Formats: sequence, structure tokens, C-alpha cells
Amino acid sequence: MLKGSFSRQKWIAIAAATVVLCGLLTAASPAFLTLSNFQGILIQSSVTAIMAIGMTFIILSGGIDISIGAILFFTSALFAQLMLDTNSYALSFSVAMACATALGAVNGFLVIRFRMSPLITTLATYSIYRGMAIHLTGAQNIPVPREMGFLGNGKILGLPVPIILLLVVFCIGLYLLTQTRFGVFVRAIGNSQRSARETGLPVARVTMAVYAIGGFVTGIAALVLLARVGGLQSGIGIGIEFTVIAAVILGGTKLTGGAGSMVGSVIGAVFLVLIDNGLNLLNASPFIYDVVRGGVLLAAVAFDRISAYRQSRQLKEQRRARLHEAVMAG
Amino acid sequence: MLQNNPSQFETSGKSEATPVLSVRHLKKSFSGKTVVNDLSFDLYPGEALALVGENGAGKSTTKNMLCGLLQPSGGTILIDGQEVEYLDADEQGIAAVHQELSLFGTLTVAENMCIAHLPGRPARVDWPKADRIARDQLSVLGIEIDPAMLVEELGAGKQQIVEIAKALLQASRVLILDEPTTSLTAPEREKLFEIIETLKERGIAIIFISHFMEEIYRVCDTFVTLRDGQQVGSGRLSDVGQPELEAMMVGRAVGHDAHAVAEPSSEEMLRVEELSSEDFHDISFSVRRGEIVGLAGLMGAGRTEVAESIYGLRKTTGRILVKGEAVSAVNVREMKRRRVCYVTEDRRSNGLFLNRPVRENLTAAAITRFVRRMVAGIGFAGERKGAAEVVSTMKIALPHIENQVVELSGGNQQKVLLGRWMATEPEIFLFDEPTKGVDIGAKFEIHRKIVDLAAGGAAVVIASSDLLELLNLSHRILVMRKGRIAGEFDRSDFNSVKIISMAASSTEGSA
Repeated sequence: MLKGSFSRQKWIAIAAATVVLCGLLTAASPAFLTLSNFQGILIQSSVTAIMAIGMTFIILSGGIDISIGAILFFTSALFAQLMLDTNSYALSFSVAMACATALGAVNGFLVIRFRMSPLITTLATYSIYRGMAIHLTGAQNIPVPREMGFLGNGKILGLPVPIILLLVVFCIGLYLLTQTRFGVFVRAIGNSQRSARETGLPVARVTMAVYAIGGFVTGIAALVLLARVGGLQSGIGIGIEFTVIAAVILGGTKLTGGAGSMVGSVIGAVFLVLIDNGLNLLNASPFIYDVVRGGVLLAAVAFDRISAYRQSRQLKEQRRARLHEAVMAG
Repeated sequence: MLQNNPSQFETSGKSEATPVLSVRHLKKSFSGKTVVNDLSFDLYPGEALALVGENGAGKSTTKNMLCGLLQPSGGTILIDGQEVEYLDADEQGIAAVHQELSLFGTLTVAENMCIAHLPGRPARVDWPKADRIARDQLSVLGIEIDPAMLVEELGAGKQQIVEIAKALLQASRVLILDEPTTSLTAPEREKLFEIIETLKERGIAIIFISHFMEEIYRVCDTFVTLRDGQQVGSGRLSDVGQPELEAMMVGRAVGHDAHAVAEPSSEEMLRVEELSSEDFHDISFSVRRGEIVGLAGLMGAGRTEVAESIYGLRKTTGRILVKGEAVSAVNVREMKRRRVCYVTEDRRSNGLFLNRPVRENLTAAAITRFVRRMVAGIGFAGERKGAAEVVSTMKIALPHIENQVVELSGGNQQKVLLGRWMATEPEIFLFDEPTKGVDIGAKFEIHRKIVDLAAGGAAVVIASSDLLELLNLSHRILVMRKGRIAGEFDRSDFNSVKIISMAASSTEGSA
């Protein structure tokens, strides 16, 4: 008998893999199993983990957003430029966050209003957003004020600020997904947009909201990243969509939407940092990192396909057995 | 009395009670084409009304008007005898279970049932209450389903029940069921009928749409017959016999006798030896020229799998001989070259190119016959002429060969699929559920076509869950059970009871 609860705990696999990897790393280096190293890993994964929480909503709803790297860059550029021009935190912060949310919402609007493929739509906006950001700053590197560093390296009650931010975003995301009507609608739409429309769910509004959330959390991530690196650099956000999407998929969310796990996405983000950490410990060539990351993602997708295939076979067998029993009884 | 006379119907029936739902002269047209015209009937509480008609007769349109999805173009709808301007189905307690389920597989049973009206606040759903609502509703139907289960983990029968339970949360008064039994097994169907009885006892009115006459007689009290959008009859089912009702639907008497099948020749066309795969084992049989062999068996017995394997769609071990010659590589190309064709059960997703023109669908399998030069010829005279010929020989009803297949009715779609293979001039036909979801008229024509094919020298294998169909058409029936051939019947000793009990028995091979 397949238990309903089991298949919903999709993050079990990635959690187990993470524990195993931690074990391996501890065996490889005694320096690994220290509080400060753990804290470092969490801080390193905070930017992608925060973005992965937004991406979880998007993928759950049956969409995808590959422009988030560009949104990250745009928000960083806008904030840095505004700080340079006005030196007002309140203004820079609110405008940057509003823009990040709006850029996400634009993606959602295009996808739902014109029924366009999210992959191609956000590939196009990726280019547009990045181009806009470069135009905005004149491709300059812009430093941010020193006190911004608090967001990236500061501590409150002994806890690093990025970790606190991650925790807050995570708790809100988890609440939205599991306790609210919105969360149910997101999963329903991802499972079957046709059924969702027939049921009369507000498909367009929910889809827009999902992409807007993706943009909003990317805005938060942008500020943390900006604080950590000390200023705007041209390389910000390049390739980060890969890491974020990989974290979500590793975490057990189905790329086709409808089912997944918020916890899994965060663990997935941590797992990817652990992989880097391990390669670092092994003194691996920096060029091998991307190969390993890609390989891990492939393995995760293959694992998912195999277990889905097994499950469908199992269901088929059960159904056949039940049919036979039923006929015998009747 | 049964013929087109709505006014008479108004005065007959239970005059003491008020009908919960009445329609008078209901009409719907799409861009000038009238799809439903002058429909009038009364539906009383606790009564089940059968909406019967062939594919394309206007049943779905009627259903959609009654559940508020479509606005009628004319006529009136009355609730409790009061005329309503605009039908808010939700508010009036009317809900429909559509043929295609609108459940979310990755959501739980409780989430599915309550999704339209989640208890609690939007920002804080009351999950325990949702669970309770779902559990209560299911127990009213006498079904034990854990509300925390994911819908995709349930079998088709339970999914159907969840869908009904969901509809009942809104439909306190009228429940519309559109072909609710097509994906159900016999015991699941029985369960559904019991539930319908319970609902009727509780005073809920049912509108039941089905192709299956025995179901209609089992479940319903009254009927309305539609043909080409016109109401051609209505009344109480106890007053009409099944043949009469079918004749009313089709507009002529429907032949139900066994087709006169010609004697096959002795030439062996297809031989299957010890065919095995993960779904079936040791399948051996042969088919002669002019012979029709039926494959009977329960759902999951392996009928489809065998048919697909012979056509090279599945990996197998064993031997397949076509006209006495062993086929070394069993794949689709090779089987097609040897003039074998497979007419799939799942015509919508596997067989047809739904949004391509009928012409392309007809010529796709034998394109080289119609078009000599690949580059210049497509869509030109040769192809159009060929396609038009098939349309006329297959009696496909359609406005134009450039119409998309998706616009055709199920029966005509099936004819297009069959017509496509005819164009390749096959000698061995493998049919899988050739008349599934097809109305009676088209079914009769397809049956006659199959008999003609055999008489014309083809060898035919039919895998079907419709035993009557096999009894009508086959020279021999092979009964499959759990992936093995359990027995064989010759036409002279066909016996439906024996065949069913053989298909369902568990005396052997229950591993």
C-alpha cells in the first residue's frame, strides 16, 4: 500500500543525500565538522536558498523563470546606482524591491496573458533585464556604503543576518504554501491548468503572484549578495538560475509542477554548496565544478524518473490485482 | 406519445410535485449553427433522467447549459417552477461531473473536494475542518477513503467517486453525470449505481448521460432523446423498450443480429508462437485469411499489450510469422511492410493528428502512394483525390477534407483512423477497441466494415472489452486472463457466460 504521506515528503531523498555527503566530508577533513564551517556553508547558500524558495512556487505552479539571474543583477544595479545618486537607504531599498517584484510580475503577466511558454518568455526577459541593467549603470562597477556589509556579514543575537533572512523567508514561504488558499491554488494550477480553469480558480492572478514572489525574494537575495561582495560587479547573477533551479529539482519538486517541497529546495541549495565545499577540500580543479554540478542534477532527474516509473508500475500491478479480486468477489 | 411532443409531456408525469428543474424550448446556437433546438423537459426531485443521443446529438451542449457553463440562446430554465434569468448553477445546487475528470492528481482528496470553498480564511485554511467535510461527505456515499490520500494514488473508480462527492458538496439538488462509467470496472460501476440510488432516495435529481443502454435502464426513470439537436422523444423508460429507444436515437432500426461472417480460407496469414513479455506469457495462436479472431479478457488481462506487441510496439520474446514467414525483426516499419496494421484503442492521443486536416490524417500512412514526389506533391491533386475517395468509401461525415480531425465526432474519428490504414492496403488488421466511445450508428458501420474486410481476404484480430462485439464479429474468441490465453471458443459454441467466467476465474496462473 502506498502511503499518501510518503510521496509528499519528497525532501527525504535530498536530506538523506545531504547527511551522507556531510559524513563523507567529515571523514575527508576534520575541519569540516565545526560550527563555523557549518555557518559558513549556510551563509554561502543563503542567496540561492532564498531565491529557490521563490522558484519553488513558480515550478510548483507549472512554470519556470530563468530570468531570475538578470533580476538579481538588475536589482543590485538599481540599488547601487540609487545609493550612489541619492544616498537614501529608504528610497533605494523600496524602489529596488518594488522593481524586483515588478520584473517578476511582468514575466508572469506575459506567460499567462499571452499563453507563452515560460521557458522562452523568461529567456527573452533575461536578456532584456540584463541589458537594461547594464544600460542603467553604464557597465560600471559601483561600490556600496560600508555599513551595507551588515546585511551580508553582520550578526543579530549571534546569528548571521543572511541566515536570519533565509529563515524568515523560508517560514513565510512555507506558511503560504501549506496553510493558505493561495498555496493550494498554486499546486492545483501546476497539476492541471485545465482543471483549475474549469474549477473557476483565479489562474491568472495566482500565476502573476507566483512570478512576483519569485521577483520579490530575488530582490532580497540581491541586497544580501550586494552586501556580501561590497558592490556591484558585472558578473553578478550569471549562471545563478542554474543553481537555483537545480536546488529546487534536487529538493524533490516536480519540474512538471503540482508537487514538491519547500524544505527540499532549501536543503537542495545547501547540498549544492556542500558539493563545492567538498570539491574544494579535494583540491579539485575549478573547471571541474560545473561538470560535477551538472552531473548531480542529471543524477537527480534520473533518480526521479526511475522512482516515478517504479511507482507507476507498482500502481499498475496493484490495480490489476485489485481488479481481479473485485471480479472474483462480484 | 413518445414522439416530439413536449406539451404533452408537461401535463403527464407527477403533477402533484413541482419539478426542481424544467426547461422550455431551450435553444443554443454557435455562430448561426443551431446545436440544440426546442428542448423541453421536467426533472423531479429523486428522479433520474437519461439524456440519450448519438455523439454530436447535442448532449454535451445541453449539459453545459444546465450547469451554467453556456448561456442558452433561447428558451427558459425554471427552478422550482420559477423562471430564472441567468442560471447560477452553484447557487441553485446544480453540479456536473464531466466525462473528463477535473481532479488534481497531486492534491489530496480533501484538498480536491474543498478547493472551490476552502473552509477557514484565505490566509489560514482550516485543514482539520476540510478533512472532516471530505470524510463526512464520503461516508454519506458509503465509501471509506482517507482524505489525506493523494488523488493520483487512487484507482479510477475511487477517483470517480471523489469527483461525485466533490460535486455533491455543491449540488444539493441536481447532479449531472456525463458518461460516469467509461473508466470503471464492473464492481466499481455497481458501487456507483448504489450511490446513485442513495442520492435519489435523498431527493436529489439526477441527469444521466450514457452510451450504455443497460445502464440507462438500470439507473433512470425518464428519458429525453436528442437527434441532431432536436428532441425526438421523451417520457418514462418503463414505456419504451431498448430497441425502440435506439431506433429513436439513430432515426432507424439498428441491426443487432450477428453479422453473417463468411467462411475463412485455410491459408494461414498470421502465426504467433510463444510470445512473452513482462505483461503476458506464452501467447500462441494463428489467424487464417478471411478469419476474425477476437481477444477477450478483463481490463489488464493483456489484450492491448498482445496486439501492440504483434505490431512491434513492445519488446517481446517469441516468434511471429506473417504468411508463413518468420519475421526476424519485429518493428513497426517491418510489420507495415508486411501489410500488417494496428488500429489503436487510444485514437485521440496515439492514433490521430488531431489538429491536422482530415486529408493529412487519411494519407499519412501511405503518403508515397498518393504523392510521388515528396517535395512538390503534398496537398496537391493526387493526395486530395485519394483522401476524398477514402472519405466516400468509409462514409465519413464531414464538411470538408481540410477540416481538422478534432472537429469530428468519435465515430467519424475512428473511421478516419481506419480509413488511413485502409489506404496502405493491409492484409492483417489488429484492432484494439475498434468502437470505444463510438455511437451506435457508427459502431454498426465499423462492424460491417470489419466483416467486409475479412470477406475480402484480410485476417483480423480484434482486442475488445465489448464481449457482444466479439460474439457478433468473430469466428473464434481467445479468452485472456492475467496475461495468458485461458481458453478458446469457436463460433458454434460461443457462450457469453462461459467466456466471462473463464476470463474472471482464478483457478490457475494467479501468480
